[in-house]
Amino acid sequence: MAGEDEIEGGNRDEEQMHYNSTNLSSDWPFNNPNEVTNTSSNPMNNTAPTIWDHHHPTNSQNLGAFCDINLQNNATTSSSSLGFRKGNLFVNPRNLDMCWGATDSAIKRGGMFLPPPASAMLPHSLSQFPADSGFIERAARLSSFSAGNFEDIINPFGNVPESSLSPYSSRPQVQPQEGFVGNGFKSASGDGSKDMPLPVDCGINDGSQPKQGGSGFSGNNLPGETEFSGGGQDETSNEGLGSKKRRRSDQDSESNQVKRSPQTPSEATKNNKEVQQKGDNNPNSVANKSSGKHGKQVSQSSDGQKEEYIHVRARRGQATNSHSLAERVRREKISERMKFLQDLVPGCSKVTGKAVMLDEIINYVQSLQRQVEFLSMKLATVNPRMDFNLEGLLAKDMLESRLGPSGSHGFNADMAMHYTPNQSQMVIMQGGMSGVGSSSDAARRTLNSHLMAISGGFKDPASQVPSSWEDELHNIVQMGLNPSNPISSQNLGSTPPSHLKAEP
Amino acid sequence: MHTSSKLTKEFTKKWVKGLQICCSSKKNMDVLERKKKIKLCADIALASAKNATTSWSIALISEAKKEGENEILVDNLLGPESPFKQQKTIPLMSACHKRVRSKKILKRSCSVGQRMKKMGPPKSNLAIYIAKTLVKKRTQVLQRLVPGGESMDEFSLIKEALDYILSLRVQVDVMRSLAHAAEVSNQSDPNVFG
Repeated sequence: MAGEDEIEGGNRDEEQMHYNSTNLSSDWPFNNPNEVTNTSSNPMNNTAPTIWDHHHPTNSQNLGAFCDINLQNNATTSSSSLGFRKGNLFVNPRNLDMCWGATDSAIKRGGMFLPPPASAMLPHSLSQFPADSGFIERAARLSSFSAGNFEDIINPFGNVPESSLSPYSSRPQVQPQEGFVGNGFKSASGDGSKDMPLPVDCGINDGSQPKQGGSGFSGNNLPGETEFSGGGQDETSNEGLGSKKRRRSDQDSESNQVKRSPQTPSEATKNNKEVQQKGDNNPNSVANKSSGKHGKQVSQSSDGQKEEYIHVRARRGQATNSHSLAERVRREKISERMKFLQDLVPGCSKVTGKAVMLDEIINYVQSLQRQVEFLSMKLATVNPRMDFNLEGLLAKDMLESRLGPSGSHGFNADMAMHYTPNQSQMVIMQGGMSGVGSSSDAARRTLNSHLMAISGGFKDPASQVPSSWEDELHNIVQMGLNPSNPISSQNLGSTPPSHLKAEP
Repeated sequence: MHTSSKLTKEFTKKWVKGLQICCSSKKNMDVLERKKKIKLCADIALASAKNATTSWSIALISEAKKEGENEILVDNLLGPESPFKQQKTIPLMSACHKRVRSKKILKRSCSVGQRMKKMGPPKSNLAIYIAKTLVKKRTQVLQRLVPGGESMDEFSLIKEALDYILSLRVQVDVMRSLAHAAEVSNQSDPNVFG
């Protein structure tokens, strides 16, 4: 039990820490706006560990005793932050789903991957993520490339919003096309269909780069990136986007598409494995600049900690094979998603490489599942009849959670102790009575009374309590998780707490 | 914040509802049975709170439905929208399973030959090979952990895992707060539950 509690406490604290990193991850589909949010959330990254340290000792104190009061405190404070953080966390999957849906559908048209379930979300993503929609269009156009229509290559770039490309010379528009032409030849020689994601990548890269702006060039270098030939980087940083494109066009003849971590316009895709494979760094550094620029813009703090390399381009004369290109696209996508999981899973920020990160993810999922098991067992033992006298529970929990954040935890506990279930139930009854009316309530009431009959251990007021407990339960959970959230007057739960407060 | 609290609300609502259904069906259950029921209700509530938007939730619900006695519970909890989806996706998932199984067999047969080849090349490739194997093993483990993960490729598996982690967190929080409240009330007045 103590071990489980430790896990819980540890998880709570760790989850607090991850609030900020998830904030970062949520921004990745957006380009420029993210810089602001990222920098703003950076200070919080510094504070989070301190919170973690603060809570950890208190948790360790309480472990043996399984003390409720302290647990309450931790639960309320940590759950409050958790609730706040979870909002951000939860936003992420939606955004992610939309963006991934976008990329997935784009690739689907290339015929490479299985359509993901999120492909249905594409319409949403199109409206909300113009960047993604832009490269979806490009991807769609480029997917027809395999048929040999070179006009299609030129067209997607025409669709890119002019504003994004205007800061740059027309060269960026031209260069990628040349690159694609070169790639097209290559792909025509190989399996045409499989090369599609890569032109997609290039298109996405080129389109998205201007959007992210060239501002991040020189300061772009992540610690990992410095491992690449620094000279090459400096050159490109000085010359700007145009030069990079020029260089790329030079190397078009031998190499395949540039992998500018398209799926991570926010972050540079980094693969240790691919780094191992790379022989010459120069072409990679050139492309790395662009991807690094992406990376910098969105998640500076998280990138700073990672040592993964940005894999960008196929080496000279290497692997023009469609298989390896497809592999590379796949890898980039996967590593991109690993980034989010890194933010989500506690203690993963320093981890590099897929295997270790997967390990951490596995451990975290296992620990969460174990927690669920443990909590369900606890609930089963605590409540022999499994009826969950929610009215009583809710009253006390509401009281504690409402007054918890205020800081007088001991006082609250005493108040909770003083309240007999009878009192609390009556109070809730008062509150509940006011909300009577719906048929569903009536149904619940019958169920509730049925339960009471089964359990047979309740006082009369309890059986009379109308089943507005569901709302109260929501309020409790709300209050527990979001103490700052003002519960509207419509909520029945607001009345009982006020009663409870007034009584002592 | 809104989405997480929405999920929390949905989950708690459905969970309590499911618990009530469970409770009303049987009178006396030992601890383990109760625990199973609680957990089952929680899982189903969590999955249904997602409204079948993610494949892991669909898988979870279909797994729960396989046992006959849970069907009523599941159906009551779910409401109208999910069961239809489930009926669509179950044949799809069986197809996925078959595909995955055949893929696995193929992989295994190929990997033997690959291993022979890979011992030959220089050490850098060996390192890569080891890394890849590690990743493969771990993705397999993750597939086992995430419900419905067997039929997913590595790519979507990670996405599902991400969503699953979030939902698990919600579940843990809600359960924890309820357990906590139950403990407190139990302490204050043991006669209520005694």
